[in-house]
Amino acid sequence: MKRREFIKTGVSAAAIAVGAGPALAEWAPRRPINAILPYSAGGGTDALARAAAASADGILPVPLVIVNKPGSSGITGATEAAAARPDGNTVMVTSAGSFLLTSMLRDTDVNPFDSFQIIAQIGNLTPAVIVPANSPFQSVQDLVDAANANPGSLRWAHNGRGGFHHVAGQSFLNRNALQAQDVPFKGGGPTRAAVIGEQVDFAFVGIQQAAGFENELRVLALAAPERDPVRDDVPTLPELGFDYVPVSSPIVFFAPNGTDPEVITGMEAALKEITETQQFADLMLERGNVPAFLSGAETEARLRQMQVDTQPVIDALSEQG
Amino acid sequence: MEIFAALASVLGDPVLLGWVFLAAIVGMIVGAIPGLTASAAIAMLLPLTFYMEPLPALAFLYVIGKSGRYGGSIAAILFNTPGTAASAATQLDGYPLARQGKAGKAMKVATISSVIGDFTGEILLIVGVAWIATIALKLGPPELFAVYFAAFIVIGSVIGKSVTRGLASAALGVLVAMIGLDPISSTERFTFGSFDLTNGISLVPLMIGIFVLGEVFAQIEERGKTTEMVPDGDDAARNGLTWAEYRPCIPHVIRSSFIGSFIGMLPGLGSAIAAFVAYGEGKRRAKNPDDWGKGALEGVAAPEAANNAVSGPSMAPLLTLGIPGSTIGAILIGVFLIHGIQIGPTLFLTSRDLVFALFACGLIGIVMYGIIGYYGAAFVGRFITRIPTKVLYPVIFLTSFVAAYTSRGNLFDVYVMVAAGFLGWLMRKLDFNPAAFVISFVLAGGAEEAFRQALLLSDNGLMIFVTRPIALLFLLIGLAALAVRVRSLNRQARAVALEDA
Repeated sequence: MKRREFIKTGVSAAAIAVGAGPALAEWAPRRPINAILPYSAGGGTDALARAAAASADGILPVPLVIVNKPGSSGITGATEAAAARPDGNTVMVTSAGSFLLTSMLRDTDVNPFDSFQIIAQIGNLTPAVIVPANSPFQSVQDLVDAANANPGSLRWAHNGRGGFHHVAGQSFLNRNALQAQDVPFKGGGPTRAAVIGEQVDFAFVGIQQAAGFENELRVLALAAPERDPVRDDVPTLPELGFDYVPVSSPIVFFAPNGTDPEVITGMEAALKEITETQQFADLMLERGNVPAFLSGAETEARLRQMQVDTQPVIDALSEQG
Repeated sequence: MEIFAALASVLGDPVLLGWVFLAAIVGMIVGAIPGLTASAAIAMLLPLTFYMEPLPALAFLYVIGKSGRYGGSIAAILFNTPGTAASAATQLDGYPLARQGKAGKAMKVATISSVIGDFTGEILLIVGVAWIATIALKLGPPELFAVYFAAFIVIGSVIGKSVTRGLASAALGVLVAMIGLDPISSTERFTFGSFDLTNGISLVPLMIGIFVLGEVFAQIEERGKTTEMVPDGDDAARNGLTWAEYRPCIPHVIRSSFIGSFIGMLPGLGSAIAAFVAYGEGKRRAKNPDDWGKGALEGVAAPEAANNAVSGPSMAPLLTLGIPGSTIGAILIGVFLIHGIQIGPTLFLTSRDLVFALFACGLIGIVMYGIIGYYGAAFVGRFITRIPTKVLYPVIFLTSFVAAYTSRGNLFDVYVMVAAGFLGWLMRKLDFNPAAFVISFVLAGGAEEAFRQALLLSDNGLMIFVTRPIALLFLLIGLAALAVRVRSLNRQARAVALEDA
């Protein structure tokens, strides 16, 4: 029932938005737009992209189709999207933080800056420090004290080496001169399960992963400059006085190099409208998240900054092999 | 009992029943098409369910998962092609049966066994969902590795006559599984600088190559020697199924149902492994182990019961902890999210009715695919076995190319399949064991990941496998199975020696 209402409100909001939006005038796509998503269906990035696609109804004159092309930590789909004909009918939507870090770590043929034009950011995934509910660590300070008392004794989980949670966690440890052994798991769900099952002492995972697990997990801090809009009870690392590197993963739409600038601006405007719909906000909220639009230029600046900030950690990881 | 209330409400909703019925049919069809797995079908149908109410959407995909696992047995029996990875064990005996003209009989056994296995799993889920979740939570990497270890040894009994060649085949499977990104450090291994190889070798094209293309090549070689695949004769005698024939299968089906249910509870193992473990354990305990692999009905019953039994219990860690036990599970998590249902321990408080209605749909779905399968598959089987070999094999040959491509839409997979086809043909010619190769390929990836995670947890100390009681238990089970096997091999060797003297 609730869903129906969302769709209704979404459609009516979209209708108003279309009437008001002149930006679409120069760009009129005729065929469905395929958005390549380089991860499998059902993951976190997939859920956000599909929320956007569902909300695009009425804003775009053609359907926005999400095409899952998983493989090789997202590089398989990215390679295909980069090689697609730049006619605006094929774009890519991905977790840009992971894409950037993977391309830095593995020196892949495609990367976010040289192979693509950045259209816009629609949302954001932010890592948080979580511990099991029974953990003796009540605060980040407890955790840091324990790590200092016994260097290398703590175990922490993340969802794969070279991913943004891993880099965020390792940067935090490095900046605070801490030593702890990381244990990679495949994906957010298994990482969370490892924390609940007390296989590890703490973990860096997306703050959305904690939704619904309030009795099993404790979120100690958010690794971001500002508090999470949904979980605003969780303090941030800088608030608590700890040094860290802001590594998060913006969900970004990319177009292959050579796409007409008019198409890019048109799509950027359409994505802005999509993120402003009530339906998109509601769908995001169900996943413990909020829309976060950034223009193409702002997104690029943000990714470049992240590249600079994470370079030391990436270098250290590459040396380890 | 909430499940009865849920059953009553589902049975009173014709639209919902319609979706479950549609799912039973769709699942069987996609499961039976080689390369098009149930998980691929669910991923494709996922967008359709966004516009449905949560319960029909979930029930539709959940039942496709169930009937798809069963549908895979149809292709395995008829074409020696596992329609899904889960049915790769079924073909070991199913295909020899089909070549004896008993495809219909084999499919009836597969149907009944799948239904029994699926029911057992579903009932265990309904009764013990909370309990299963607690167990799943206690299992960390060391325990999972111990289970893999035990599975490796139990499965060793399918290795066949020549132990050295069987072990060599298994070792080759492990080696091929190493290709791609290292599961822990994400560095490239054996990729030789090729981008396509960074993703590793995928299971579906490998299996299609080894089993299907290998078989087609072997048939080309034997062209002219054996023209008629099915001897003429009375269809009813070969394809009817009597109680006397099914009765020996019953102990295997019961054991396999519990093996499958148990493996389903463990996150990340999945139905293919359940089927192989059940097959290995069944063969080890069978009264007629020599018939297994040559067309024993029990050899179809055991893996089919196990792979469907996985379906129900794997929902427990999925719903309560958000850990998918299979690819299908991973996609179902997405469906819950799309419909705004938060998976987690609170799910049973917030959406209790929905969850039990979903389980009720599962039970109804099992009955539906069971009835359709029992009568429908036998009909298809009779039809297919009448097609002459020279028509059938070219069709299978072409289908395998389409199947390898469609599984991921990647041309590289087609090359993998062709290479695997030659490998499978060579292995058969040189008496190596293609089944051992594929099984160890399936197991090696997960086993390596669990082993190395465990070592990271313990600072590279092997004691972690001994000091954790559940891990120790499974290691001991594995070692005991190994001891029993060595003893029986020795006894056989001694018996042979006596005969020679």
